[in-house]
Amino acid sequence: MAEIRLVDIEKKYGNFLAVPKQSLTIVDGEFLVLLGPSGCGKTTTMRMIAGLEDITSGDILIGGDRVNDKPPKDRDIAMVFQNYGLYPHMTVRQNIEYPLKLRGMAKADRAARVQETAEKVELDALLDRRPSELSGGQRQRVALARAIVRKPRIFLMDEPLSNLDAKLRVTMRAELKHLHHELGVTTVYVTHDQMEAMTLASRVAVMREGRIVQLDTPKRIYSEPADLFVAGFIGSPSMNLIEGAIRGGVFTAQGVSLPVTVSDRDDVVLGVRPEDLEIIQRDEAPIQGRLYALELTGDSTLVTLRTGKASVCARGPADFEAEINAPCHFAPKPGVRIHLFDRTSGQRIDGDAAQGTAA
Amino acid sequence: MRRLFAWWGERALLALVSVIVLFPIAWMFLTAFKRPRDAYSLSLDFEPTLQNFATVFADPWNLGDMVLNSVIVATVTVLIAVPCASLAAYSFSRFRVKGRKFLFFLILSTQFIPAVVIVLPFFLMFRTLGLLDTRVALIVVNLAIVTPFVIWMIKGFIDAIPTDSEEAAMIDGASRLRVIKDIVLPMAAPGILTSSIFCFILTWNEFLFALILTRRDAVTLPVGLVSFRTERGDLWELMSAAGVMITVPIFIMALLIQKHFTRGMTAGAVK
Repeated sequence: MAEIRLVDIEKKYGNFLAVPKQSLTIVDGEFLVLLGPSGCGKTTTMRMIAGLEDITSGDILIGGDRVNDKPPKDRDIAMVFQNYGLYPHMTVRQNIEYPLKLRGMAKADRAARVQETAEKVELDALLDRRPSELSGGQRQRVALARAIVRKPRIFLMDEPLSNLDAKLRVTMRAELKHLHHELGVTTVYVTHDQMEAMTLASRVAVMREGRIVQLDTPKRIYSEPADLFVAGFIGSPSMNLIEGAIRGGVFTAQGVSLPVTVSDRDDVVLGVRPEDLEIIQRDEAPIQGRLYALELTGDSTLVTLRTGKASVCARGPADFEAEINAPCHFAPKPGVRIHLFDRTSGQRIDGDAAQGTAA
Repeated sequence: MRRLFAWWGERALLALVSVIVLFPIAWMFLTAFKRPRDAYSLSLDFEPTLQNFATVFADPWNLGDMVLNSVIVATVTVLIAVPCASLAAYSFSRFRVKGRKFLFFLILSTQFIPAVVIVLPFFLMFRTLGLLDTRVALIVVNLAIVTPFVIWMIKGFIDAIPTDSEEAAMIDGASRLRVIKDIVLPMAAPGILTSSIFCFILTWNEFLFALILTRRDAVTLPVGLVSFRTERGDLWELMSAAGVMITVPIFIMALLIQKHFTRGMTAGAVK
């Protein structure tokens, strides 16, 4: 177990700036998720920690040691790759054993450790097979077993679940969470799936164009997104974002008028989550429009109305029914958070969310 | 009706091509077992004999010496070229060094030079070094011809191996050389084996340099064939017997390559 500190690290490929100068401290024992769309630099950041990618400038410290010039093998890390990176010419047993073999562990000890690890991830029946004879989920387990067999200081996981089918992904997610709880090893996890990030992380670093735009607990990322990007990225279905202006203490857009606590200004984007809206039957509702679509998800119905250019979605009861194009009214549930952002800068303009942003 | 016609047309064309390709080979194999008086007839009605093989291995032809020369030259060339080329190919495939593309082009460009152009300088060089008519000279020349080609070939195989497994091994604690030994070589083995056999065949069949650089001691099989054109005329039955000796090992190797080509070693590494 160890703390990871990235100090002013920067990565350039020729003239292309992949990760601009920034710092990040990953606390000992933490499960930190790097979350962002593809090409946002999250994988590059992880590969720099692993030593698979040189850093252009800055320092990486693992457990207080500067590891900039250390090859991956001397960093005492383990990594799970998106495509698993198994050794196809070795059996499952040899795959799991390989890290121990490289570190010169005695043969008998190795066998015991492999057995113990294989049982932990339920692979003990498959030890003599080759990766090509395994299913995707089983291969994923081999990769995982190979990572945990050595008891490293740090786990790095690069989209480890993205090649699995949806059902298996949920099961493996729970297993990863349990494993982290059991082993308590500092873990850095890269994903573009906000659901994975929310469920697994102690803290989430949301990245965009190489920069960490918000670093916080999943709860605060969800309840107080620092800017429009985070607001739109986290949550499913995503937050309703409505462009408008504040006049006399009321946010106004076509079909929308909501009292807010921010002083009057133009170019405002109001954000409200679908689960924070309810469907009401009054005519003077704060959000009015015509019903555009109904999507039953099982436990609820997603109700979308259109007003002007904007679509607004609310999570309604599963038994909600209405005619398409019928007038439709939403109101925020009492006490929920209404988010306000500056339209040009994207920054939050209500309250104290700024403290959640990363350096 | 039209489809039937096309079907027969296709078969006829394939048969024609097969005959054109196979006729000389069949002719050689048959002639090798014919007596001198049958050699010029195309008749299949002849009494087969192994006498030609006995003759070519005996004095004055001594084909055995040439077989030995060919085997040594080809084997040593493969043993040197393939390990060197594998390392070079790995570097070209994996390391992003400045000028890499140019260097790779430069290596390949040596293949564009016609052999006849450089055979004379080689001759002069080896004469100066006192290496004319030695196997060493042939090995050096063959290395120069074959290595760039093998680098290019093996690079293709290594390019096709996903880097994930290599990176995993590096994180698991392997040095770069260990990664090459434990991960890359086993995964590239079918490709490397194929390249080795290719390299062997190229060297085995090499004619021009062997003709110019050897005289008596280091003569290889392809050059040896020429000696059957004597003042008494061309000894076709002996030439065919020697030709069979050249062809059979290559034929066996080609069969081996085919078997290995179809086996995908990288299956199961990813996804």
